[in-house]
Amino acid sequence: MSEKIYALLLRLFPSHFREAYGEESLQLFRDRARDERGFFPGVRLWLDLLSDLVWSVPREYFHMQPALIGASAYRRLNGLPLFFILGDESPRLGALLLGSACSLAAVGTISVLISHVGSYRPFRPWTNQPQHTASARLSAFKSPATHAVGNAGEKTTASGSPMNSAGSLSSGDAARSDTQSNAILIVDDSESSRPQTPPSGAQNAVAATNRVVNGDATLDASERHRVIVGAIVTLKEHYVYPDLAQKMASALLAREKNGEDDKVTEGRAFAALLTRQMREVSPDKHLEMVYSQDPLPQHPTEPTAEELARYREAMEKQNCTFEKVEILPSNIGYLKLNSFPDPSVCRQTATAAMASVNHADAIIFDLRDNRGGEPEMVALLASYLFDHPEYWYNPRENTTQKSWTRSPVPGNRLADKPVYGLTSARTFSGAEQFCYDLKMLKRATLIGETTGGGAHSGVFHRIDDHFGMGIPETKPINPFSKTDWAETGVEPNVKVKAADALETAVKLARSRLPKK
Amino acid sequence: MPKRKLDPLPSAAFQILLSLAGEDLHGYGIMRQVAEQTDGRMRLGPGTLYSSIQTLLEEKFIEEVDRREDAKLGQERRRYYRLTSTGRKLARSEAERLADLLRHARAKKILRGDYV
Repeated sequence: MSEKIYALLLRLFPSHFREAYGEESLQLFRDRARDERGFFPGVRLWLDLLSDLVWSVPREYFHMQPALIGASAYRRLNGLPLFFILGDESPRLGALLLGSACSLAAVGTISVLISHVGSYRPFRPWTNQPQHTASARLSAFKSPATHAVGNAGEKTTASGSPMNSAGSLSSGDAARSDTQSNAILIVDDSESSRPQTPPSGAQNAVAATNRVVNGDATLDASERHRVIVGAIVTLKEHYVYPDLAQKMASALLAREKNGEDDKVTEGRAFAALLTRQMREVSPDKHLEMVYSQDPLPQHPTEPTAEELARYREAMEKQNCTFEKVEILPSNIGYLKLNSFPDPSVCRQTATAAMASVNHADAIIFDLRDNRGGEPEMVALLASYLFDHPEYWYNPRENTTQKSWTRSPVPGNRLADKPVYGLTSARTFSGAEQFCYDLKMLKRATLIGETTGGGAHSGVFHRIDDHFGMGIPETKPINPFSKTDWAETGVEPNVKVKAADALETAVKLARSRLPKK
Repeated sequence: MPKRKLDPLPSAAFQILLSLAGEDLHGYGIMRQVAEQTDGRMRLGPGTLYSSIQTLLEEKFIEEVDRREDAKLGQERRRYYRLTSTGRKLARSEAERLADLLRHARAKKILRGDYV
């Protein structure tokens, strides 16, 4: 009871504090309540807590960061508007003058930009993100045949290079390529294997330093050494475990000195050899050397305004890949979602889709054709399924304060409704994250087939025109188990053929609904 | 909008830095350690504790380490915090400032005892 009262009092804190430390605060309360039993300790505990509230709550609002205010207000505008009153003093004269000057400058800048509209370059919302993320996302729409909802095969993208050169990437490990961008987005194998025109950004890089013979480079000792040195520099700079990076560097040099690399003259085989040598030191399947037949561009191509417009248009045409949003008989909400698109383009569609099933008694997410997408969208949809911020594990990102769902969502009624996820062997990447986390949190029953097994967390780094490396740069905390779904996939709770998954889910959902 | 400042270092933040000087601790561990090192005079409530932790994290004076269980307190996984080298420097300079203050207090005969 007392915990519930304190949980209510915690609501006095601003949302950013609750999201970051709400659960921790409750835990601290539980710890103290357990250790400080009896009348007087109990009274002292409550006096401490109340005085803490009196001091901390105003301070938290006073010190709230502008970005957090924006986020908080934005979320609530979807339901009831909420405004924070942040101060009751009149602005100082200096502040007013500065504000006026800034406003004038802004108006002037906008006027100049409008008058030079021909040379205006639009702001791209993801310029702060790694470039590979944007490349991966948008280049999925460069060709109609290459799309987020791919078909069989699950090779992933090389993040540092544009997709059209990723088409000819060959993994050091012949069986698979683990390299992937942070954006969980997939291209078809079929598309990847097509001959592609070199990217425009690679024009300057066509002067390859390696001799390319019959689609593969022949390497001499000095070229091999240059690749090894490049690998060492990249490892030391980017690998998540610096001590292992050092050990790998020593191992690579020692192997080279021993003459173990001498016989390998083909680029592909050399990449495979270096991958093996690195993994012998650090058995990390996300770590690999990659050889590309086509020259890798010096700088990853940034998405152009046209590509951005095309992405937006494609999403509009496909209803942001929400293929179906329906209420099935027995008031079961059904969402067939074929990717997790970029929230900066599809937030409204996603919000509307969730709103239209808000009054359902159970909800089915059909992810049988979902090949992944943006982690932000995965977390956004998951936020509807909890009434409190829940730790949301993403193997591609370091654990931060953002690793929590944005629950509760104002006006949402789905937080306590049964959730079913339909899976197939094609369910992949971001869709697997959605399934895995919900399963581990015991929030969803998964029905269908074991998923594809794509949890790559490597980021691609170019070494030279033909060699690059996939390197894990993150060390996220998996609170659920030592392994995730990489390669093994996510096992469903109820195994049925993918084609029968919907029928099974509907039956199961009906049987579990209270009889009316 | 003002950003929380650590200059001068608030007492709660200093106590948290001191509490982490010996070992990594979770939130409740910090609260107990602070209570112990102040003879029970300072019992940090969740609001003060976590807002101070947040500020110290933002300024990189402490860092989060692996989430793990505390065997004495059950199976809940807890966030642990660690003092960084800059945090240690900050705590040291604050301690030196206080020691300096103490020397002055003794010189003015406000406080008796040996010089520190």
